[in-house]
Amino acid sequence: MRTAGVITRRRMAVLLYLATAALLALTGRLAWIQFARGAELQEKALELRTRDIPVEAKRGNIYDRNGQLLVTSVSADSLYAIPYLVTDPQKVAAALAPVLEMDAERLQKILTRRSCFEWVARRLPPATVEKIKKLNLPGLFFVEESIRHYPLPTLAPHVLGFTGVDNQGLTGLEKVFDAQLRGVAGRIVVEQDATGRDVPGAIHRYIPPRSGHDLVLTLDKTIQQFVERELDKIVARYDPKLAVIILMDPRTGEVLAMGNRPSFDLTGWMTAPQHVWDRNPAIWYNYEPGSTFKIFTMAAALSEGVTRPGDRFYDPGYIKVADRYIRCWADGGHGSQTFEEVVMNSCNPGFVEVGLRLGKERFYTYIKNFGFGSPTGIDLPGEAAGILIDEKKATNLNLATMSIGQSVAVTPIQLLTATCAVANGGVLMRPQLVKEIRDPAGNVVASFQPQPLRRVLSPQQARQVADLLCSVVLKGTGRNAFIEGYRVAGKTGTAQVVGEGGGYVSGKYVASFVGFAPADNPRVCALVMVAEPKGGVYYGSQVAAPVFREVVRDALRYLKVPATPGLDKPPSPFTYEEPQPKVRVPAVTNYPLEVARKVLLEAGLGAVVQGEGKVVLRQTPVAGTEVARGTAVVLDLADPGVLTHEQVVTVPDLTGLTVTEAAEVLSSMGLELEASGVGQAAGQEPAPGTRVPRGNAVRVYFRPVHSPSAAGPAREFVERP
Amino acid sequence: MRDNLVGVDRMALRRRPPDFILFLTVLVLLGIGIVMVFSSSYYYAMFPPFNNPFHFLIRQSIWALLGLTLMFAAMNYDYWRLKRWAVLLLALAFALLIAVLVPGIGVSKLGAQRWLNLGPLSFQPSELAKLCLIIFTAYGLSRRPEQVTNFRRGMLPYLLVTGLAAGLILMQPDLGTAVTIAATIVLMLFAAGASLVHLGILGVFGAAALALAIWLEPYRMRRFLAFLDPEKDPSGSGWHILNSLMSLGSGGLLGTGLGQGRHSKFLYLPERQTDFIFAVIGEELGFIGASVVIILFIILIWRGLKVAITAPDPFGSLLAAGIVSGIGIQAIINIGVVTSSLPVTGITLPFISFGGTSLVFNLLGVGILLNISRYGARQ
Repeated sequence: MRTAGVITRRRMAVLLYLATAALLALTGRLAWIQFARGAELQEKALELRTRDIPVEAKRGNIYDRNGQLLVTSVSADSLYAIPYLVTDPQKVAAALAPVLEMDAERLQKILTRRSCFEWVARRLPPATVEKIKKLNLPGLFFVEESIRHYPLPTLAPHVLGFTGVDNQGLTGLEKVFDAQLRGVAGRIVVEQDATGRDVPGAIHRYIPPRSGHDLVLTLDKTIQQFVERELDKIVARYDPKLAVIILMDPRTGEVLAMGNRPSFDLTGWMTAPQHVWDRNPAIWYNYEPGSTFKIFTMAAALSEGVTRPGDRFYDPGYIKVADRYIRCWADGGHGSQTFEEVVMNSCNPGFVEVGLRLGKERFYTYIKNFGFGSPTGIDLPGEAAGILIDEKKATNLNLATMSIGQSVAVTPIQLLTATCAVANGGVLMRPQLVKEIRDPAGNVVASFQPQPLRRVLSPQQARQVADLLCSVVLKGTGRNAFIEGYRVAGKTGTAQVVGEGGGYVSGKYVASFVGFAPADNPRVCALVMVAEPKGGVYYGSQVAAPVFREVVRDALRYLKVPATPGLDKPPSPFTYEEPQPKVRVPAVTNYPLEVARKVLLEAGLGAVVQGEGKVVLRQTPVAGTEVARGTAVVLDLADPGVLTHEQVVTVPDLTGLTVTEAAEVLSSMGLELEASGVGQAAGQEPAPGTRVPRGNAVRVYFRPVHSPSAAGPAREFVERP
Repeated sequence: MRDNLVGVDRMALRRRPPDFILFLTVLVLLGIGIVMVFSSSYYYAMFPPFNNPFHFLIRQSIWALLGLTLMFAAMNYDYWRLKRWAVLLLALAFALLIAVLVPGIGVSKLGAQRWLNLGPLSFQPSELAKLCLIIFTAYGLSRRPEQVTNFRRGMLPYLLVTGLAAGLILMQPDLGTAVTIAATIVLMLFAAGASLVHLGILGVFGAAALALAIWLEPYRMRRFLAFLDPEKDPSGSGWHILNSLMSLGSGGLLGTGLGQGRHSKFLYLPERQTDFIFAVIGEELGFIGASVVIILFIILIWRGLKVAITAPDPFGSLLAAGIVSGIGIQAIINIGVVTSSLPVTGITLPFISFGGTSLVFNLLGVGILLNISRYGARQ
């Protein structure tokens, strides 16, 4: 007998050790997989086995500062099917089709899909839900979803913002506070096998969503309604390109109301043009503030002691800076006056002088401290920063024009926030829109305190500025903003619109008024800005100041701010004291009435109609006459037939019309248009006034619109003598 | 020859009961296997084309009975008598390996032609071939044990025969079984006392051949790459590995309970009753259950090698070593694949995975092993 040799035995022992080592190593590996990675793998496995259907949470409400509901969500049930539980899809589809007003075949297709979850219909009206529940169909389930609801859909839409199809915030506060309002989505979890079949004892769980938090705003619904009302009036009267009214509490920086025109309806935002809903002009529109900016020149000058209210100035009607002459708005100037009178008169040369006395460095320090040139940090998306000329590059002429609010761009919210700093005794506050965030049970989750950014003026200096601004309202250009029973401080502003080329656009102005009341203990600080009002009236004192008076008076009364009897009153309302700029009456004879009205309105003239008809037969005064801006032109009307019976018509002046407008005018007269080029009519053949037979063609040359600087008078205030 | 027979007859008189621990270990593994085959397959078998949750259980039980019968028979069949049949068995194995490749005789499943049809049952000749090769190699090596250190005479013949068989199996194609068989024979050569230098050179060539086999076959390459980075194609080539790991990870220490393994059962784990049954054990019986299975295999290898060491003659010793090596390699590779320690190859877990031929031949092998244990020297 030969047993295994020594080597063989030893080798077999080696085999045993190797195999044991390998298997023990695998045991270690197993332990690592099952313990160290166990939780992660288990999670992954469950995720792979389950289909998750998100159920959105009820979005939080938005309240005004007094707890008035501004935005809420109403429940709407959505219907889903778990196909394998639908025992008789054909019958269920047939029963469901009429209730849902859906095609039975399509429904049946949904109900027989090889899946564990199918939406059948989402956000159904309650009546439909009731009907379906009564049918008691197997395999169909409801889950609560929600739709945004607005008790007042046109109230502050730019501020509140709206939500998209999945209830996600798209604009305004809805966007900024989306994370808080949204809540935590719930889930419907269904477990299935790898082939999509339901499995025995499958998890079919409904994890309810957690509702979003509510926002409590600083806005006051009632004051916002005043604002919306006044904005509507502005639109009816001036049809401006833009209008903005903002009210703030200067003590805290809380925004009480913020409104814009053009505006939109929150429930129907999709039907409004995008440029209307995607920007909030109150925080986005950059414009030259004009004289309202003088508040800050004045504040800097008084604080730095470069002038005192009693100092005397002499205004010859212009001031020379570098090699330019800056005109005062008042022809002939204001003559000799104190600084207080300079402020009351909004005298340009006086402000230029104090601006120059301050010097670039100090001037920039102050306006930057007031927050110009940087966003205010308000809780809204899309805020603009305004535009400041780079301090290093700014010339003395820039300094001069900036002192009177030209060659600087601000946003409405910037200007108002800076004014609040004057009103509250010198502290710049961050504008605030949200007071609190509350959970659905009403517990305060986050509370936002007023946020002082920095001290800009000492209380005494702020008081001094406020007193001067009171003089403006009592005795100066701001008299239309006077409110009986309150000391009102404020400043008017009228600036020309800066065109794309950088120059001013003729006939386009921004009228504004900014102020606060009561001046001694301000409760309300407000800005009214009307960009490009139509109809010839465009001064801040005429357009904006009266609106300020209306809205601030209502707000003060609503806030029960006690009136002080026996205060001084302005002697008379402020009216034009400067001569009206003359305009040339355009030719509108033979124009259709609507076109004629539009042409006149654009020229800054009104229209008075005589007689009946669709076409202008005669105009008084005739074309080419120089008249005061705002004058009404008398139009005698007739029907086209009256003109055409003689078969010979007078060729109208088409200059400045678009191709469509020119074609319309000519066809109403029985003439043909032969257009060449694009843009605005720049030349025509035959010349205006020529008598031609009906049916003739008029050749019109169109050219692209000139850059405004080339077309309009450049920088009206800077002229060579 | 005559000497041997005389000695054998003498030994036959001293037959003892077989190794009880080994016997019990295999029975426990077989029991676990049948239970786990049922647990892992009943959900799958509920649906067409089976429509019978007991489909796999019934089949596995029949195979187990057949295997046990053969095991008991082998236990009482004196192993040295196999020498007589060694060459004949090898010829039979080659005949069947060739037959299975002939279209019409061999049956294709899942893109591989590995089965011969025997009426209602099918039969995998590669499992038979493995046992036959082991018997043949043990027989050859035991005739002149000292020649094993001579490469040309002691190693080359077995390597050629093994290479030919592995090549035929590779044509089915079945890389896993081919590798198992080749490795088994190499381990036998090692056990027989082959030169480590020869074995080292052989190892280099073997590794190169394996790399080539992987590299030339796109699906093997994909599996190999998926082994390196399963997350790259989680629903494609990484699916096996990822779901195997997720099943194991879902088990934790104690497991989800027998029949409660949701991940392995609900068809996320592929090959759940065959190649990946260890993952089902890991999910349902946890780390404890899986470790018990591993320990059972360690016991099996220990007792098996003990039989080899104490066997009365070189033939018995090498035969035992070969049988144990075959089982051990298969278990290690299978568990390695399931735990993502090795790339995916289609290898079953001995005694546990569903699969008739493999079970029958493994039990037959154990029967031979037990028979050898009856003649071992007393410890």
